[in-house]
Amino acid sequence: MIGLSTDQQKWWELLLAMTEKEIKARYKMAVFGFLWIFLNPLLQMLVLGFIFQFFIPIKTANYFEFLFPGLLAWNFFSYTVTKNTPMYINERALIQKAKFPRETIVLSVVLSNLFHFLMALVVFVLFEWLINSKIHWWRWCLLPGIAFWLAILTSGLSLLFSSLNVKWRDVNFGVQAMMPLWFYATPVIYSLDLLPSWLAKWIHLNPLAAIIGILRWAIMGTEVPWFSLLISGISTIIIFEIGVMVFRKESPFFDDWV
Amino acid sequence: MKQNNLAVKLVNISKIYQLHHEKPTLVENIFRKNSREKFVALNNVNLEIKKGEKVGIIGPNGSGKTTLLKIISGIATPNQGKVQTWGKLVSLIDLSAGFHPELTGIENVYQNAMLLGMNRMETKNKLREIADFADIGGFFDAPMYTYSDGMKLRLGFSIAIAAEPDVLILDEGVAVGDENFQKKSSDKIEEFFKQRKTIIVVSHWLEYMRRNCKRIIWMDEGKILKDGDLNLTKEYEDEFSK
Repeated sequence: MIGLSTDQQKWWELLLAMTEKEIKARYKMAVFGFLWIFLNPLLQMLVLGFIFQFFIPIKTANYFEFLFPGLLAWNFFSYTVTKNTPMYINERALIQKAKFPRETIVLSVVLSNLFHFLMALVVFVLFEWLINSKIHWWRWCLLPGIAFWLAILTSGLSLLFSSLNVKWRDVNFGVQAMMPLWFYATPVIYSLDLLPSWLAKWIHLNPLAAIIGILRWAIMGTEVPWFSLLISGISTIIIFEIGVMVFRKESPFFDDWV
Repeated sequence: MKQNNLAVKLVNISKIYQLHHEKPTLVENIFRKNSREKFVALNNVNLEIKKGEKVGIIGPNGSGKTTLLKIISGIATPNQGKVQTWGKLVSLIDLSAGFHPELTGIENVYQNAMLLGMNRMETKNKLREIADFADIGGFFDAPMYTYSDGMKLRLGFSIAIAAEPDVLILDEGVAVGDENFQKKSSDKIEEFFKQRKTIIVVSHWLEYMRRNCKRIIWMDEGKILKDGDLNLTKEYEDEFSK
């Protein structure tokens, strides 16, 4: 890699090697292997779609199609944060073995899940290309940027929760309790225009809402309120900064607590 | 540059652990903020180890030997003081730690070697050498859960030595595997002893130290009680056989 010092190059190599391990380890012994990247959200989409079309109908056009990108983004976010929170406890053997950049443990989970997210997203975008006439090609160019934004938010929370969980194991329980609530506070299964406006305003404070909004905008051409993007952008940066700060403060002492 | 002949330099190192008898929870931390017990594992330790020195660290359990090694290897961070090390440092303690049971031997070698500070190219070039030394035959590309404990240790040992450490940290677990591999591994360590490698041994196995080390550091209650030559091992034995 050009322009990187040997230390930086080593850091990237280690991070990529650990990401590769994450990806490989997940589908070992699974007959369908990488097909699960797509099967998983597809099954989820079918289940949720059936519930909210036939039991409690939600009035959104092309509901199954509407669900999919939101589910992909939500799955990436919630799997990553939930998996990362107890990560330093689970990987105590690594921490006690050698001195290496501790952030690579958490970031490798982010990257491997990002890989899955992007794979499924590409398949979905190709599907949209076949069936949707309202698509805007240039918006697709923004998809990597949106994925990056989502990854930064996810990394920030992963670093924050995993660092705190080393000393306070309650954090893990808190995250587990919070995730289902967060799911319903995120417009995955509903669109914001179905909500009363006082409630929709509060949902805009959720940084994920705008990210999922702009993801749908980029793929399927649905509308997104622009001011919510600004709120989400700022809170993403703040959350990331706090995550990095707490990690920097706590990580030298991980070994004392695991 | 006077520092150039040093491998390890510790200045005023203190390490304090908080004792927790139960799992710490947020509530306890909020309401009992000042009632934490402290345990001083290292108390103002100063130590210089020169390049090529063979140092044995002795002392009763809980005297701070392990903490000292953790500080030197950078796994733990001192609460006070300054640590400096020169050259690549590899610990042969806990050899099979960090292996992923689902991944194959090769995949684990990459991961483990890079954690020890090798890069991808180096690892790739050493793959054959590691496999040969570990002598695990056809298991190299089989998942790790099919390995016996001995095989895991052998592979761990082979990776650690392939990392070509400048500073090597050993404990009495150095004798790994079956008879044959024990011979092979102790020959390899013997080789390190002969080269200008810095070696730090923590052990209750005084006989081993007498054969291999030149300098003995006697730890007690988080401090360096005595720092001298092999005569200390005799003194240490007398002290505890009283």
